[in-house]
Amino acid sequence: MMLLEPISTLLATTSNPIKRAWDHLWFYGNTDASNFAAGSDAVFFFIFWVSAFFFVLLMVLMVIFAIKYRRVPGKSAPVSASHNTPLEIFWSVVPTILLAVMFFWGLIEYLPTRVAPGDAEEIQVVASQWRWDWVYDNGASPLNTEVIANMESPIFALPVNKPVKFVLSSLDVIHSFYIPGFRIKRDVMPNMYTQLWAEPTQVSHSWNEDTEEWQVVPEMARGDFDGFYLACTEYCGDQHSQMWGRVMVLSQGDYERWKTQQADTSGIPLVQLGGDLHKAKGCVACHSVDGSRGTGPTWQGIWGKTHTYVGGGSGIVDENYIRESILEPAANIVEGYPNQMVSYQGQLTDRELYAIVKYIQSLSDNAEDVAAAEAESEAEMAAKQEAAESEGGADGDAAGGGE
Amino acid sequence: MTSVTTTNGDAGANGRELEPHEAYVPGAHWRNAHDEAEAAKLGMWLFLGTEILLFSGFFCAYAVFRMWYPENWHDASRYYLSWKIGFANTCVLLLSSYTVVLAIRAAQQNKKNWILIHLLITNLCALFFLVVKIGWEYIPKIQKGELPGGLFTYYNPQGEFDHIFLSIYWISTATHGFHVLVGIFVISWAMWLAAKGHYGPKHYTSLENVGLYWHIVDIIWIFLFPLLYLV
Amino acid sequence: MSHHDVSYLEPKGSFWQTVWSWVYTIDHKKIGVMYLTAVLLAFLLGGLFALAVRAELFTPYQTIVTETGETITKGEALRFIADRWVENGSTLTVNNVYNRFFTAHGAIMVFLFIIPAVPAALGNFFLPIMLGAKDVAFPRLNLMSWYIYVFGSLLAVYSLVNGGVETGWTFYTPYSTTTNWGSTTAMLLSAFILGFSSIFTGMNFIATVHKLRVPGMGWFDMPLFVWAIYATAIIQVLATPVLGITLLMLVFERTFQIGIFDPALGGDPVLYQHFFWFYSHPAVYIMILPGFGIASELLAVHCHKKIFGYRAIAFSSIAIAAISFIVWAHHMFTAQSVALNAIFSALTFLVAIPTAIKVFNWIATMYKASISINTPMMYAMYFLFCFTIGGLTGPPLATLASDIHLHDTYFVVAHFHYVMMGGTVLAFIGGLHHWWPKMFGKMYWEPGAQLAGILVFVGFNVTFFTQFFLGTRGMPRRYATYIEELTTLHQISTIGSWILALGLFLHLFVFIHSLAAGKPAPKNPWGGLTFEWETESPPVEHNFPHEPVIVHGPYDYESVVPPHCDPAEYPVARPPAGGANGTNGTNGTNGTHHA
Repeated sequence: MMLLEPISTLLATTSNPIKRAWDHLWFYGNTDASNFAAGSDAVFFFIFWVSAFFFVLLMVLMVIFAIKYRRVPGKSAPVSASHNTPLEIFWSVVPTILLAVMFFWGLIEYLPTRVAPGDAEEIQVVASQWRWDWVYDNGASPLNTEVIANMESPIFALPVNKPVKFVLSSLDVIHSFYIPGFRIKRDVMPNMYTQLWAEPTQVSHSWNEDTEEWQVVPEMARGDFDGFYLACTEYCGDQHSQMWGRVMVLSQGDYERWKTQQADTSGIPLVQLGGDLHKAKGCVACHSVDGSRGTGPTWQGIWGKTHTYVGGGSGIVDENYIRESILEPAANIVEGYPNQMVSYQGQLTDRELYAIVKYIQSLSDNAEDVAAAEAESEAEMAAKQEAAESEGGADGDAAGGGE
Repeated sequence: MTSVTTTNGDAGANGRELEPHEAYVPGAHWRNAHDEAEAAKLGMWLFLGTEILLFSGFFCAYAVFRMWYPENWHDASRYYLSWKIGFANTCVLLLSSYTVVLAIRAAQQNKKNWILIHLLITNLCALFFLVVKIGWEYIPKIQKGELPGGLFTYYNPQGEFDHIFLSIYWISTATHGFHVLVGIFVISWAMWLAAKGHYGPKHYTSLENVGLYWHIVDIIWIFLFPLLYLV
Repeated sequence: MSHHDVSYLEPKGSFWQTVWSWVYTIDHKKIGVMYLTAVLLAFLLGGLFALAVRAELFTPYQTIVTETGETITKGEALRFIADRWVENGSTLTVNNVYNRFFTAHGAIMVFLFIIPAVPAALGNFFLPIMLGAKDVAFPRLNLMSWYIYVFGSLLAVYSLVNGGVETGWTFYTPYSTTTNWGSTTAMLLSAFILGFSSIFTGMNFIATVHKLRVPGMGWFDMPLFVWAIYATAIIQVLATPVLGITLLMLVFERTFQIGIFDPALGGDPVLYQHFFWFYSHPAVYIMILPGFGIASELLAVHCHKKIFGYRAIAFSSIAIAAISFIVWAHHMFTAQSVALNAIFSALTFLVAIPTAIKVFNWIATMYKASISINTPMMYAMYFLFCFTIGGLTGPPLATLASDIHLHDTYFVVAHFHYVMMGGTVLAFIGGLHHWWPKMFGKMYWEPGAQLAGILVFVGFNVTFFTQFFLGTRGMPRRYATYIEELTTLHQISTIGSWILALGLFLHLFVFIHSLAAGKPAPKNPWGGLTFEWETESPPVEHNFPHEPVIVHGPYDYESVVPPHCDPAEYPVARPPAGGANGTNGTNGTNGTHHA
């Protein structure tokens, strides 16, 4: 099986390709990405090698017996014991001892995972069908996205060598918060807060001053950060399999820079911000922008259309309808679609809401609408620029909301 | 459930036409009637075990929510349920349990008419129970909107979780009521068999099993009554 | 009397009279055969869904921009179905079709196939015969169980045709109580009804074992298959009612919004998980214990040797049944408190001990044996291979530190398929070959069956062993797509599923061929010692021409020449002191009785 692994992975990495391929099969070969990974994997490999020993022993005996004691017609099996008390006690006690070791070792490694240290930075995690949202202590939520398994998924950042506590809650059904590389997992419940913590130990990305982008650090480039993603592991419906997030681990300085970047959306033009939010806030999970069918109506060309609602009535898609659909999704459902969406009340600023409206307008089939959205977006930016210049650039960005 | 009653119409030793219970022959796969009767009773006990486990689901749910919302539980019980109605029904069921024992006793003593009379009293008790339950509890509750969970519309709730109390009340008493209804049918079936002479001192297995079933229905009520009405 | 020497398969008069003699039969053998037919149909249906699920996972979703600038999505094998499946006025997403398919696979395989497969089909047929009885204790209840099963299954099929279910076979709340897709309520009622069938079968078998053993047969004279079915029946009776009430509460939740499991109304979704797994974890042992029973029979008969540690194997079945009731919360290690986790982790390890003992005993049985290599024996060894892997991958999941990572990943998927399919299904197929000549009076085509067995074994391992790697890499369960790094492993797994399917279809062909053109089977083709090998092949209407007499233990191969067998072919290692025909057991044998 290991021969079927991509040959490049075998050769590119280490002087011992067989060892490398074997390591890569299990856990992607990275067993040290968080403070818990090494302990968890040590327990796993202890159990693995004990099991491998017994399995090989039993199977070798089985095959040897099957060959050696093949039946010869006309000959009977010799008389042999049908039980042997010392042997039976031996093979009952030895597994019991080994199992007890597994249990206690597993328990010892597990207990610290449930009690976060007092100085851990707290991050609020809100799960809903089908997206993750993290709110950092400075109010930041991620804006950038990356395609994982064909889905625009938010990029979250964590600081290296610093404990982080996640406080989890769900807006609808049960989800489960899982970062494979860190070996942490906890169910996200709709009726209570749950939490877990970890301390990432390997930097995966750094800020590139030249390109002004977050880049994978060279040590990670060969794919060791394959486990650095967030996935939902409790089945939650239609797009359960596309509820991802990328996890970047940054140096502590980079991490602060990132948080500041993400916290301030006022410098982004409306239409662009709407597009970013569409991806980062998970709208993309249900609403496409290329006309393809999803759980909710596509946004392409939806602006100005007249829709029939479930349960009668109809209306035009305009600013008010979009606001209502974001804040009170169940109020008027477009015919042919399920009542699936949760409310985004309190999760978007007014300007962000408006940005989504303008973004949808910019996706209109009507060229005039598109132009109007772009023009308004540019005009707002220009006005801001002007205001900032006239005030000597004091705090022009502070008025994030309320346009 | 196993009493294969074959009436072969043979004349007995004294020339008298045998009653069905006297002429009873066990099923073809049984070695003797004793084994058959024992197996039937064993099967019945196992079935009763499953019944208790079935209701244990309600009891667990009850315990969990009572632990979480003890005061609300107390208030809801006092407010929505009348212990007098519950008590009346409890007495009736206890009486019916007694009469079903008397019916079995009558079978052992070969008193066919008394089997019928006791079973009739049992059935009347069961009917009384259902009439009280539906007429004095369910119908008024439906009218007032004291309904389970999301259907709860009563205008003056006693706490935040009245609807959960009523959910457990409704599903457990309705499931129990369904068992009472089934009891009425199986007791009627036993009466029919008794009338045809299928029960006598040597053969009354199915009557005994009907009795066992009826006892378990009563016992479940004995638990439901204090848990729901006397919190 | 004629029925003493007429095969149970003999037609009764006209065609319609024969049909009537089946649909209204109270003969446990006919009911067993009817169950067998039904569960094999369910296996086929569930298997087709599995193939569809694996097909979807052959490639992850990828968006590709073509040379003409068009963006297309690739890797959606179920797109063809999704585009033609209209519900609520529009077509489905590929994800949603996938979700319905994996749910259908799980629900059918669990409720319709694997729970009834061994007890209700093979158990029904052989349990009374092995006890020397003419029928089960309650034959009419037995027939009723079958009709309930058929009714429940038809309701499941109705649910599938009506849109299916996309909640997963575990129906976790609040998703299952709020989703308005498909026909979840019908599937819940179906599982509820199937539960009754299972309970009645269990009650019937317990009463049969207690009251219908041939006179003189003590508990330790029973074949180990009977012990296993007995332990299974206890679990069926004790656990299934709890599932029944849980599913009923879900139905109430969906119809009357009772709110017990719905957090929006103050209920608790984790309560549902406790309820559900209180049944469904013991149900795992309803599925595997009969497989243990078959494995014991296959090994003893085809090794022609007394089984090693009879009592240890028998008691370990009972111990597993008992422990199975106190481990349910290990399904919620990521959802509950540290204290509960520690307790249930420790309890879970207890199951491993009797299970390990069984495996050691089976291997020890092969020591100094006289082993016939044929399809049933090969399946016994496939079973040992796969079940040992399934068993040994249990501890990483019972251990808290490693389970947190592996929980709800493909490691779990691989683990339970190694136990359920590698354990129960392989044992079931082996048992089917072992008892096929007895059930239908026809031999099967041995080379074909062996080839099919090899394909099944290879296909199974290729399919599921790769999934252990996927699991440690963090591939979550119930995903319609995945990150591209996992493509190679998923493709190997899918190719394995094709090999597996090929093997299973070849088995089907061999069975059909046997029914149509198989050679007549002798009464005792393998030289077995239990009662079923004493009677005709196929058995007569009331199982035995004359009530059998117990004169030796079920595995006294060293001192007893098997019935209807040539002593020259099956000589005994230790001829009994008293006579040459070997009907008297001697010292040191298990529970030997003298006629």
